Amino acid sequence: MTLRLNTDFAAGLFGLLFAAILWFPRESMGRLSIIFPRAILVITVALSLALIVKAFTKPAAREVTIEGNPRRLLMMIAVLFAWWYAIDLLGFLLATAIVFFGLTWYLANVEGAVSGRRLVQWVPIVAVLIGVFYLAFTEVLSVRLPTGIWS
Amino acid sequence: MTRATTRWAGSLTLMVALGMPGIALAEYPEQPITYTIPFDPGGESDVTARFQEPHLEEILGVDVNVNHRPGGGGAVGWSEFQNTAEPTGYEMIGVNIPHIIAQPIMRENAGYETDGWKIVTFFHTTPNALIVPKDSQFKTLDDLVQYAKKNPQAVTLGGSGTFSANHLGALRLEREAGIDVTYIPFTGTGPLPAAVQGNHVSGIFNYSMLGVQMQDNARVLAVASEERVPALPDVPTFKELGYDIVGGAYRGVAVPKGTPDAIVNKLEDAFAKTNERIAEKQEPLGFVMTDITDGEVDEVMQQLKTAYQPILEEAKANQ
Amino acid sequence: MDMLLEALFSILTLEGLVTILCGVTAGLFIGALPGLTATMALAVLLPFTFTMSPLQGLMALGAVYMGAIYGGAFTAILINTPGTPSSIATTFDGYPMARQGRAYEALAAATIASVVGGIVGVAFLLLLAPPLARLAVVFGPAEMFWVALLGLTLVASLSSGSLLKGLLGGCIGMLLSTIGVSPIGGETRFIFGIPALQGGIALIVALIGLFVVPELISMAAQGRGALPESGKLQGGAGSAIGRMGRHIFGKPINLIRSCIIGQIIAIIPGAGGNVTSLVAYNEARRFSRDPASFGKGNVDGVIASESSNNVMVAGSMVPLLTLGIPGAPPDAIILGVLLMHGLRPGLDLFTETGVLTNGFILSMGFAAMFLLPVGLLGGRLIHRVVVKTPFYFLLPSIAMVTILGTYALRNSMIDVFIMLLLGTAGYFLRLIGIQAAPIVLGMILGVIAEKGYVQTMLVAVVDPIPWLRLVANPLSIVLACLVVLSVATTLLPGWLERSGRMAKVDSDEEKSP
Repeated sequence: MTLRLNTDFAAGLFGLLFAAILWFPRESMGRLSIIFPRAILVITVALSLALIVKAFTKPAAREVTIEGNPRRLLMMIAVLFAWWYAIDLLGFLLATAIVFFGLTWYLANVEGAVSGRRLVQWVPIVAVLIGVFYLAFTEVLSVRLPTGIWS
Repeated sequence: MTRATTRWAGSLTLMVALGMPGIALAEYPEQPITYTIPFDPGGESDVTARFQEPHLEEILGVDVNVNHRPGGGGAVGWSEFQNTAEPTGYEMIGVNIPHIIAQPIMRENAGYETDGWKIVTFFHTTPNALIVPKDSQFKTLDDLVQYAKKNPQAVTLGGSGTFSANHLGALRLEREAGIDVTYIPFTGTGPLPAAVQGNHVSGIFNYSMLGVQMQDNARVLAVASEERVPALPDVPTFKELGYDIVGGAYRGVAVPKGTPDAIVNKLEDAFAKTNERIAEKQEPLGFVMTDITDGEVDEVMQQLKTAYQPILEEAKANQ
Repeated sequence: MDMLLEALFSILTLEGLVTILCGVTAGLFIGALPGLTATMALAVLLPFTFTMSPLQGLMALGAVYMGAIYGGAFTAILINTPGTPSSIATTFDGYPMARQGRAYEALAAATIASVVGGIVGVAFLLLLAPPLARLAVVFGPAEMFWVALLGLTLVASLSSGSLLKGLLGGCIGMLLSTIGVSPIGGETRFIFGIPALQGGIALIVALIGLFVVPELISMAAQGRGALPESGKLQGGAGSAIGRMGRHIFGKPINLIRSCIIGQIIAIIPGAGGNVTSLVAYNEARRFSRDPASFGKGNVDGVIASESSNNVMVAGSMVPLLTLGIPGAPPDAIILGVLLMHGLRPGLDLFTETGVLTNGFILSMGFAAMFLLPVGLLGGRLIHRVVVKTPFYFLLPSIAMVTILGTYALRNSMIDVFIMLLLGTAGYFLRLIGIQAAPIVLGMILGVIAEKGYVQTMLVAVVDPIPWLRLVANPLSIVLACLVVLSVATTLLPGWLERSGRMAKVDSDEEKSP
């Protein structure tokens, strides 16, 4: 998918927004703490303005191309955040089991419909994948993973 | 919302598992204990916890899991602990003075309170030490003080962190000796040996451990302990030299407020016994082992708070 | 010499070699997992070494360190994700090579380069430790400021396309690095009232987010795996190794240059392995006859990055063992182990306890050699797994490991959220031409620049013109000149191109100052 977008303008705008987020709600800070970030903020604003000027005088690419299917792209982003939320809520194991299986099913659909038998065959594969990493992190690296409501 | 559910489900499981909660107290401990270190692995707090871990496990008879929650000079771990930990005795966290005194004063929102927990014990201290390069013109503390009196701000003292034990030590030296030096904060102890050996600063205010470690490459002018540090027998204390500066970092553990006294006492005992066993390894490194518990904890906290508060508040006003 | 021989015999036991082999293998896998760094690998291993003899403990740690730094190359090449920060530069050419079906070649080159780098580092440490160590202490705050600026000139070569956007990315990175507690002032900055943000954004969290997540998103959008399945080895694995060996040793200048750069940067305390590979990569590109091919799958980029970062392993022990100055974060853990066993850094370490010290140093050399078999076998295995696994299993697996690795770094779900947020933003920023590399570079160097600058100003508080302290001694003047020179050599070709000789313009973007 190709979108019409002046990338110089977009980058400049992003720089200004980012600088604004850090500039306006500035906590009261001493000289030693603010001297460096303030200098960088000023440079950021200058670079952003330069990009915006360039956008109108000598623009670079005027379009961006998103390779692949934009709906799957957004879906993937949503899944990642949902995964994060689910881990907090349900604990690592349960959340990952659900999301992993769901994501595998969703992605496999790209290559055509998935039969019920294949889904059943996947259960042990997914279980082993999750189990190996779960055990490696909890037992070998002794990381305490979130347990959610099951604690 | 989630947290309430968690807690409810948690206590339900506990009750189901044990029949009644009273028994849990009587037989504490019976599950693994989480021992959180709010600093990076490899630092003094972490190494100490690793030393303690096997002995605590042996004494208490359950697993003790050390995990790390670093960030913000400890503040991230501490604020999370005060907000979420349960007073069951199965969660404890390493605490450090002066961090827990200084951060809540100096930061607008440190996320925790100095007294928002029950401190079980302070198990050791690492007194401040004033270290100068080997070829420094300052042979004694007196040399340094005299020079600093004549040349205000010209003496630069490095140290680990801002409003840390080192920084507060330097500020107290300024007050006691009536001098004006420039304190240069570094991030952690790591860069300090290079700063001394490369003469980037006139000297450093760091812990006794670094003094021990750098014996060959630097000179330790004084240590800020009550008595001389066993590992540095030839180095005078500030007190001997006429400056009332005793201070440094205290390390200990805390449990959430409301943890039953029986559990706290059991942990106190366990840490005291552990300390005896690991003293032989830690003392040569420059640690000073302590066993500060109960009332003494409040006493130490009160004493250090009164010592540091005016310095901190003045510093904050000057910012 | 006797001591060296004695040391050699003390590690050439079955127990010793097995320790090294296990250490290298464990380090390799930990290093290959995104989020698990060399520092973490050493920290995990630390309690186990308490029960070992001092030499065995140090051997294990050295081997894990060596393996972990090398292991980062695997994920860098196969899924465009630096497993450790020190392999960021490996992604630049390693992943394009893999996409062209030359993954195994890239892995072989990385392995050979790492082995050579590791051994060169050991040689430097054995032969030149005392004179090199003197170099470590001359880098004061002012010098560090210039080193950071010198590093920032890399942005120019990392920003494919527009220099302005590259610089903007660098600034964004530097601003991200200021979130949390200020290193000098001690106050909290930009935390928006959220106590958890006092910890700031860990470099590794940003690194994983900015590199892995965009890759995951575009893999999902395109419905493909990380590598094309057609990635068949041309003429088998053996010939790939041979070809790479001939390429590397046929024109060894790149390798030699990268090793020297690696050694020098390893000595500078506080710069560490994160920067070595980037600098070596940049110089390889600058001196190459065909700089345009870098970033598009030039194997020399992989060689420069991987050789220099493995030099750093033993190289950073120079200031550590002689002066007690940890050059890179993992060294701090090794310092702790030395102290715990009552070993004080200094010349005594090379005389009184020389057998132990030399044993430790030599064991790192063996660890480097073991990288060859372990790496080539492991590389084949991981390569096959990544190519053969259907993408609908591969993608969720990478996502899961990424989440686990990020969480494990600081036991924090907030870090996982920050990782996902930065990653998503990184995908869209990449679309509009702001790449991940300059942002990460800004994060690494921003901290160094800030500390150097503010500390210099503090030291100079009594001077009439404080900023003159920045150029007050010969070394800082030299470094400042290098910064100017580096900027000039980067910008000059672009200017020449525009002023008349429009010789080679291979992108539709021009380089503007």
